[in-house]
Amino acid sequence: MTQAVTRPAGRKERLEDLLVVDCDVHVHESPGELAPYCDMPWRKALENVADVQEYYLDIPGFSPGMTWYEARFPTAHEGRRMVHTPEQMRRELDDLHVDIGVLFPDHLLKIAVITQDDYAAALARAYNAWLLDKWCSPSHKLLGCVLACPQDPEDAAREIRKYAREPGVVGVYLPCAGLEPLWGHRRYDPIFAAAQECDLPVLLHSVTVVHPVFPFNLQGFETEFGRHICGHTFAIMANVVHMMTTGVPVRFPDLRVVLTEVGISWVPFLMNKMDKEYLERRREVPILQERPSYYMKKFYYATQPIEEPEDLSQVVTMMKLFDGEDRIVFASDWPHHDFDHPSKVHQIPFDPGVRRKVFGENALRLFKIDAQGRRLNL
Amino acid sequence: MSADEKPAGRRTEHVVGKVNDFPEGTHTVVRVGRREIGIFNIRGEFYGLPNICTHQTGPLCEGKKTGGTLVAREEDDWKPEWAYEGEIMACPWHGLEYHVPTGQCLAFPEIRLRCYQVVVEDGEVKILL
Repeated sequence: MTQAVTRPAGRKERLEDLLVVDCDVHVHESPGELAPYCDMPWRKALENVADVQEYYLDIPGFSPGMTWYEARFPTAHEGRRMVHTPEQMRRELDDLHVDIGVLFPDHLLKIAVITQDDYAAALARAYNAWLLDKWCSPSHKLLGCVLACPQDPEDAAREIRKYAREPGVVGVYLPCAGLEPLWGHRRYDPIFAAAQECDLPVLLHSVTVVHPVFPFNLQGFETEFGRHICGHTFAIMANVVHMMTTGVPVRFPDLRVVLTEVGISWVPFLMNKMDKEYLERRREVPILQERPSYYMKKFYYATQPIEEPEDLSQVVTMMKLFDGEDRIVFASDWPHHDFDHPSKVHQIPFDPGVRRKVFGENALRLFKIDAQGRRLNL
Repeated sequence: MSADEKPAGRRTEHVVGKVNDFPEGTHTVVRVGRREIGIFNIRGEFYGLPNICTHQTGPLCEGKKTGGTLVAREEDDWKPEWAYEGEIMACPWHGLEYHVPTGQCLAFPEIRLRCYQVVVEDGEVKILL
């Protein structure tokens, strides 16, 4: 990849001089990689698909159902980039001017659609063990999130507590693709309780699937254009609404919540929609002690995919609509097809102090780490 | 005492009806000068609230009947419970709820209606303004 270098312009700090914490980068876990970390009998099943020809995030019995549905024409767009080692990740993040990267999976973005609960829980345990062993490295400034298996919340809570004191772990990843019931359902309370108790934020992350649960019944769209828009944005909005419905921010007041891979323009929209409904229907959500926007303003929002209006100052306006300057955290989504180079976020006409917050300072506070990636809450 | 209330000695009494006109468990909207005020008789106690909702100026006190509402408290593990029976008025337009004895809006902690002082003397109901 060619290194993009920004020029100094007036008092604006250069990208390469800013602390950049990237809240969403993806490691590539394959069945063969995870197999040695997986309990029997599920290890046998992973070994069985270890040599299956992989197209992209679609392996039978591992990450089912994301083959492309529409005509595929040739393109030079490298839509299937993967990162296989921490060394490769470090090198590529260096090229992006990223100092600290927070790791998410590739295939297991879709773990919620696995139909066998015990298998899903075994996959999550294997991924967590593998991630800790192979990837999480404060010296590389690569920090991991414990995958919380939605199919087995009790086991997920055990996993969170098991890894909570690891220097290379800074959060809990909550899968959203194909999830049912949505986050916020009381069956997931053990996960939120463990995360709050361990002082680790939860990070919601979705991916496109076509799956017969709300809001992933996306079969009506002709192309990925529609599915991809809705798969991420509606999933996160649905989960935020449900978490508000069941009072997650009230019941877990110290829990830090992060919404990833949805950009920021939906935040004022959903905040206002919820406040409007709340006015009429407060008695349906009596657990809320304040209007929903009060709680939404306490959540954190990752930038990618950052909106790119022709007039980039509109992004600043969107941020102000939800008092977001302390709540927006940079994310690139490297190496995925829709990653954001930080130079785009750097072009947004933030005040210098706000730019520093968005690129790094907010994330340091969110993850309770220092600029070297060292945890401050151990 | 809200900012627009006069000191007790200088307030004016406005007779709005006989006590029998305001049976327990009912409320009535009366007009005093340019003001419309809802008079509520809740278990023998009288309360007065402005007949205007803070939301979109709906006729708050023209709702059919006061009732209770759902609340959730930490000490009860945030389980919904029915509370304030007979003390809640919901605006007929959009349902924004108020606790009549205190004027407190349930949805928004920062909103509290002016509470008019209503007294009963010699069988007459009076508002002090």
